[in-house]
Amino acid sequence: MLKRDLNRRSFMRASAGVAAASVLGVNGTARAQADGPVRIGMIYAKQGPGASIGEYLQRGSSLAVEQAGGKVLGRPIELVWLDEPNPQVSQQNMQRLVDESKVVAVVGGNYSSSALAMMSVANREKVPLILTGAAASEITGKSCSKYTFRTQATVPVQMAGLMPYVSSIGKKVYFITASYAFGQDILRASRALLKQVGAAEVGVDEVPINTADYSSYILKIRQAKPDVIVGGLVGGDFSNFLKQWNEMGMKDKIPYAAVAVTDTDFWDVGPQASTGIYIKPWYYNNPKNTAAEQKLIEDFKKKYNQPPSDKTWSGWIGMRALLESIEAAKSTESAQIVAHLEQWKNTEGEFPFFFRDFDHQLVRPAVIVQVKKQITDKFDYFDVLKNTSATADETAKAFGTKEDIGCSMPSL
Amino acid sequence: MLDTLVSQAANGLVLGFIYVLIAVGLSITFGLLGVINFAHGAFFALGAYVAWQLFQLFGWSAVILAPPLVGLIGMAVEVTIIRRLYGKEPLLSLIVTFALALLIEAVIRYVWGADGKPFNPPPAFAGIVEAGPLLITRYRVAVLGATTATLLGLWGFLAFTPYGRILRAGSRDPEMVELLGINLPRVLTAVFGLGCMLAAIAGVLAAPLWTVSPSMAANAVMPAFVIVAIGGLGSFRGAVVAGLAVGIVTSLTIQFWPEAAAASMYALMFAIMLLRPRGLFGERWERFE
Repeated sequence: MLKRDLNRRSFMRASAGVAAASVLGVNGTARAQADGPVRIGMIYAKQGPGASIGEYLQRGSSLAVEQAGGKVLGRPIELVWLDEPNPQVSQQNMQRLVDESKVVAVVGGNYSSSALAMMSVANREKVPLILTGAAASEITGKSCSKYTFRTQATVPVQMAGLMPYVSSIGKKVYFITASYAFGQDILRASRALLKQVGAAEVGVDEVPINTADYSSYILKIRQAKPDVIVGGLVGGDFSNFLKQWNEMGMKDKIPYAAVAVTDTDFWDVGPQASTGIYIKPWYYNNPKNTAAEQKLIEDFKKKYNQPPSDKTWSGWIGMRALLESIEAAKSTESAQIVAHLEQWKNTEGEFPFFFRDFDHQLVRPAVIVQVKKQITDKFDYFDVLKNTSATADETAKAFGTKEDIGCSMPSL
Repeated sequence: MLDTLVSQAANGLVLGFIYVLIAVGLSITFGLLGVINFAHGAFFALGAYVAWQLFQLFGWSAVILAPPLVGLIGMAVEVTIIRRLYGKEPLLSLIVTFALALLIEAVIRYVWGADGKPFNPPPAFAGIVEAGPLLITRYRVAVLGATTATLLGLWGFLAFTPYGRILRAGSRDPEMVELLGINLPRVLTAVFGLGCMLAAIAGVLAAPLWTVSPSMAANAVMPAFVIVAIGGLGSFRGAVVAGLAVGIVTSLTIQFWPEAAAASMYALMFAIMLLRPRGLFGERWERFE
């Protein structure tokens, strides 16, 4: 009896020892972090078709760090930038940031497919992840996560801003979208809105990604004679389309409207071929930009001799939110960072924007822009028409209710 | 309907011709050097970038210098790297040329930046041509003319000049050619340069149609490999026929069955490979048996 009891006791003691050791172990890592620099990971494309976008995102995030004096909690910040070439490698890179660089959080993820893959690592390793792109609904919807925050508006939110404009141009709509998650999201969201805005679909083409020649599609569009085209092409595919649209003499004939485009798509094709109405998260030449955003533009121009793209803004705001939340938390511990990101609020504009606590989506209006008739500046391609919503209430409504979103977030 | 069909076929033809130029270069390099050049697409992109740079510096007429310049770069690459791959196992040349492709893309990004470069058709070729049922842009007609002229010139060079005869003989029996007192290494350098030059011509012609960006070759290289496989490795005639077939099949699939557009050329390749594994015009080459 005594012997058995002893055994039980020694077992309990041993278990307690293991538990203590593991707690100490955690503390050990935390202490190691407390002494040295604060490491923050970035995952942005360095090669392939996304490299240009990756560069602008990275410049934005790095500028946010520079503007903070390169320090957070009085300790120097060390940025570790890894590539985002495809979902698989992005996921591995996310793991490397956690295992090898021991980062306290990660900012990055431009593509929805990569973002979803990175989120699984963020959840497992309990590392906060701020996505600076990735518009697919499920990221803050059915796949939402306690550790993931997203700055970009979802596809349905952006389409809801665009479709009323589309129907004011004409009622016969032709869709040309990329045949993967993002394009399908656009198609689904706009079809749901068609009736509401009183428009009808006259044709649809779902184009494989990395299509070089659009002439056959353009001939089909000509034949269908739509009033307006709603597009869901991205990056190089979108630039190729615009170039050939112009080459085939269609530029001023049928208006083109789309969401989730970026300035570089247009800088790449040049003024001659640029046309259309678009929803963007941000535009540098917008009179409504805040003082902090003006400072971003100035600092960027000083450093790179050109204005920033909207991707720079996304990278910048994502990193700013993280740094400000770490400062507010007075800690680099992930649960603390997440808790303070949920409370983070930017009050520099007409009305505040913030990450919603129930789905971690940044609730903020986007801008509707139109390509200028005459482009005289190498970078200034757009006239800002208006914001997708004008008040805080309207904005909150546009992003949908908890029931619409379908995110049930597990606790930490 | 007829007008759409004719226009689709004509546009497919232009696309096919650009692919043919890329494929012929690939095919010649393989046929004569025995090297499958994965970096071929990188020379295509380099052609577009050099053309853009020349256009910025000297205007449209200077663009014509881009292909020979890329050809010279290709020759330098042959002397320093490719030469070491002759007679080695094919896997080695695949790995080395793949690395070379990444290197050239990185160099392009380093020199010209990750952003794309705006490049539109020359003003003289702007606008569209409508002739009966046919609708095509003026620039695409010019592309058709330029590629046809290049391919005819190349065919004439290979078939009727003494240099062409040396090339063809060298591809069949290099030892005998050397025994006849011909400096084969120098010939092979020229062949690699020629292949790169053809890729660069395609790059220059595609630059006003496709976005000029460091990874622009990604969209063009796969069809080129498919064309080489369909036409038969090392066959000039095969590349031309297969290229046109791929272009037309792709554009007609987009018209009638858009969901299958990306798969159509692979389906064509699959069918041909089943019926004739060595490709349409592939011959039996004792060297590679």
